[in-house]
Amino acid sequence: MASNQSTLRELLANEDVRSISRRYFISNGFDGTLTSIGIIVGSFLGGNQAAMDIVRIVAGGTVGLAASGVWSVWEIERAEKLAELKRVEAKMLSGLEGTELHERKGKARKINAAMSGLGPTIGMLLPIVPYFFVDVALSLLWATVLGVMIGVGLLFVFGAYMGNISEQNWVIAGLRTGLVGLVVGGINIVLPG
Amino acid sequence: MSPIKRLVLDLLKPNEIENVTFARTLADLDGVDGTNVSLLESDKEVQNLKITIEGESVDETAVSDAVENLGGTIHSVDEVVCGERLVEESSTHQD
Repeated sequence: MASNQSTLRELLANEDVRSISRRYFISNGFDGTLTSIGIIVGSFLGGNQAAMDIVRIVAGGTVGLAASGVWSVWEIERAEKLAELKRVEAKMLSGLEGTELHERKGKARKINAAMSGLGPTIGMLLPIVPYFFVDVALSLLWATVLGVMIGVGLLFVFGAYMGNISEQNWVIAGLRTGLVGLVVGGINIVLPG
Repeated sequence: MSPIKRLVLDLLKPNEIENVTFARTLADLDGVDGTNVSLLESDKEVQNLKITIEGESVDETAVSDAVENLGGTIHSVDEVVCGERLVEESSTHQD
């Protein structure tokens, strides 16, 4: 148990594992947030939708996107890490099955897949939080406006974080990604029907 | 049977397993007092190390298992010192 925790700590400290996990988390988080913004704006404009109906639609989408994130990365990383292992085996002239390296790659794959599923889950679910307050403190219109703002805020955080790790101006990086949320909302409003 | 006091190995290991991990794992084995890991050569995927292990009674099987478990391959055993005290290599005319 202690050894597992120490291996997990080592893996989380490993820049390769963090970098790959970060990419999947942010890329899929982006997908999830924009999908959520699209659904809530589209549902509101469509009319005749109760707040809980919108929540159910987004929750259903979350299951799909999270499963896609976990499953696809699980398979992608299985292939990539197996290929890496084969390259090292060819240099070592010996098999590495059952070694520390093999085990580390397996654990790294689990972390990559978990982060890939976590990104869209957060991205999809956070914008629908205001819908739980409809008829208590908010109207459907304000829940939608707040939901879009939460989504835009989340996109800003993704961008600011990437700007920060790449030592760019994090405000500009955040504004660049946050803008996409507004564009998606705007396109939904402009679309006919 | 005389205990092994020093073992010097030449081995190949994947880059991804850090030299520190090798040094710590081998130093934690029973009968080992300390280890020295020196990098001889580095490639894109693998590294060649010289590892010196010293202790009261170094178990060569445990060392070999630990190296294998970490994904290393022992190329050669370059020096073995056994007995009650550490005997250094003596120089000869050919040296």
